Amino acid sequence: MDDKYRRLIDQLVNQTISKEDFDRLQDAFEHDADLRREYVALLGLCESLGEIALEDAAFPVDSERKTTTATTRSNDTSASHETPTAPARPRFTSMRFAIAATAWFLLIGSFAFWLGQWNQSRLVEDMVTDGETSESRIAGHATLRRMVSLQWPDDSKRYLTGDVLPNGPLVFDSGLAEIDFFCGATLIVEGPASLEIESDWSVFVSAGRLRASVPPAARGFVLKTVESEIIDLGTEFAVEVKTDNVRVEVIDGEVALRGGEHDGKHLVTGESASLKGTPSDTSVIEGLSTMIELDQRHQEAEADGYRRWIEHSTELRSDDRMIAHFAIAEGIRERIVPNAALTGQRFDGLMVGPVGITDGRFGPESLGLEFDRPGSRVRTRIDGEFQAFTFTCWVRIDSLKHRYNALFMGDGYETGEPHWQIRDDGSLMFSVMVDDTQQSEHFSEIDQQMVQTAGLHRLYYTEPFWDISNSGQWFHLAAVYDPANRRVSQYVNGKQVASEAIPDRFHITTLRIGAAEIGNWGQPFRETPWFAVRNLDGTIDELTIFNAALSEEEVGHLYERGKPLGY
Amino acid sequence: MDSPEQAHPSRMTRERLYDAYVALLARHDLAIRRFVRMLLPSQDGVDDVMQETALECWKKFGEFQSDEPDADADEFVRWACVIARYKSMSWQRDKSRDRLVFRESVIEQLSSTALETVNQQEQQRNAVEACLADLPPDQRRLVLSVHSPNESIARIANESGQKARRLYSKVNRIRSLLLVCVERRLAAEAGNG
Repeated sequence: MDDKYRRLIDQLVNQTISKEDFDRLQDAFEHDADLRREYVALLGLCESLGEIALEDAAFPVDSERKTTTATTRSNDTSASHETPTAPARPRFTSMRFAIAATAWFLLIGSFAFWLGQWNQSRLVEDMVTDGETSESRIAGHATLRRMVSLQWPDDSKRYLTGDVLPNGPLVFDSGLAEIDFFCGATLIVEGPASLEIESDWSVFVSAGRLRASVPPAARGFVLKTVESEIIDLGTEFAVEVKTDNVRVEVIDGEVALRGGEHDGKHLVTGESASLKGTPSDTSVIEGLSTMIELDQRHQEAEADGYRRWIEHSTELRSDDRMIAHFAIAEGIRERIVPNAALTGQRFDGLMVGPVGITDGRFGPESLGLEFDRPGSRVRTRIDGEFQAFTFTCWVRIDSLKHRYNALFMGDGYETGEPHWQIRDDGSLMFSVMVDDTQQSEHFSEIDQQMVQTAGLHRLYYTEPFWDISNSGQWFHLAAVYDPANRRVSQYVNGKQVASEAIPDRFHITTLRIGAAEIGNWGQPFRETPWFAVRNLDGTIDELTIFNAALSEEEVGHLYERGKPLGY
Repeated sequence: MDSPEQAHPSRMTRERLYDAYVALLARHDLAIRRFVRMLLPSQDGVDDVMQETALECWKKFGEFQSDEPDADADEFVRWACVIARYKSMSWQRDKSRDRLVFRESVIEQLSSTALETVNQQEQQRNAVEACLADLPPDQRRLVLSVHSPNESIARIANESGQKARRLYSKVNRIRSLLLVCVERRLAAEAGNG
């Protein structure tokens, strides 16, 4: 082949080709099949290199990649006992695949309106970047990082700690809120306050006292009031906005004022200005909380919440409907997760594999168990027959990285045994095996066809309650299986999100648990070493099982008594 | 049939179709993406075209399944590539005013060339990996870094203070070495049946 064209191909691939040469190359492509093959082969090479580079960046250590590959290779067809497992193949069980798959699932999420499962108000959407992969994007400008004794007015939108704040109002009656803007500026706001978040770089304040800390990266952050705009040119300032009084004071650094009577004026450290109303001698910063005070108040409030929960948890234990109560937040013994219910230590859990120990929902004083690595699990064995189930837990989800993400799973999924998990689109799923001797049919992704498997059961779903913008937030989840009233109800943060009748043929009255796992699905196929990868990428700090169908009120009560700070 | 979907037949069927589609797409998106890249003069637009292709494929997936109930994975990829080719063309038609684009006759030609090897994406990648292992470490690093997402030779030249021209020719040379190696490996594999 002509070297001249080979050079042009290189230039095209490197994006340095001129318009004339591009046209010459196109002419040559039209009648030279070898040249086209050469070009296609080179692009194939470049794409392979790009994929490999991406994986290397994600998994710099070779051995780690091997581990992931091995554990993800669940090739057993019985993996699809109830529903297909995530597509598993040895070659692309890599970061590149994970990213691509996540991106696709998110993208395909937009098809889900056919299934009526798409929640329009969700903050996450798929986005096309100029890079290699699509990625999800969160629509918002700031994070509500911490809150202390915050009171919301009845008619305004409420947020939870960790929520991403979109465009729009943030109004509260009293208390302290710490808001991190994505540009890097932090506001500590005292209620009563009324803000309008405008962008990563600007906020409109119509009421409230606040302290703004603006690091160099966020210089240019704008705080607007009706009278004028305050443009930060460095570090820290305080603002007070009342109906008849608007004042600004520079704690450290410099701000510029725009609009109003002070237009163009600069204020430096110690200087203040009255933007509205009569000038006053009292300092704006007097009594205004600092970051350290916020820290302290936050810690105290958290410790308070923890103490209240311990009291409540101790009360709960006398409830003889309780099958097991894993009060992880209170502590664990070595590798033992104690069962605090009256049923006692025979139902203790045992940590197996790389379970991580981390902060629970009441901050550093409490504990949580992290299941982010595929082998992590807490195993238990709960023998007996039950007439109803209520499962509740507090969970912090970092990501839904598998198709199905386990909360509590009966090992063999035999007749009467429960499965409680979260699908990758953020829906809760609860099911009980009705008859494991019957046949049912489902689509196997491994075999790419319909296959018959044992087991008659029914999955009860909720609408998606979680998306990536909720990453790191605590949720209280509950599933109630009530054979007597033939109903399955599910709850998120004390609110019922789904309630469905149990059809006759899926009705079962004798329930069991047996060997089971928290945070993973360990041993579904006893005859092979493969296990389905359903470990929860997140933290659980409390899980309780009742031999009863709790009422909506009772679930709400559990949530209220157990909720962490900022809920 | 003993299955749990009696209560919502249409919804569950749809859901099953959706599961099947997602599985196929997740499995083959790299192959389809590669095909799309070959029909576009640069990375620009690959994501757009992929997204449109995925949407269109889903819309038509029901038909595909009923027309070809026994279709294997290969046929899915080929079917998706037909849609991808069409989407690549219309994308380039829309962008023809402000950037270099291939004319339609060339896209047709490139498409048939690309289809010759569309199902060999995994073998190619294995071969590339094996060939990379034979490269001296500094060359391997260089060629991987310029192909990292959001990287370009121009940028790396800029950052490392090297002359872009020299770096271009170095990377071109490493790539052609790799190509020879990959082709040899693929040929050997084909020879082994």
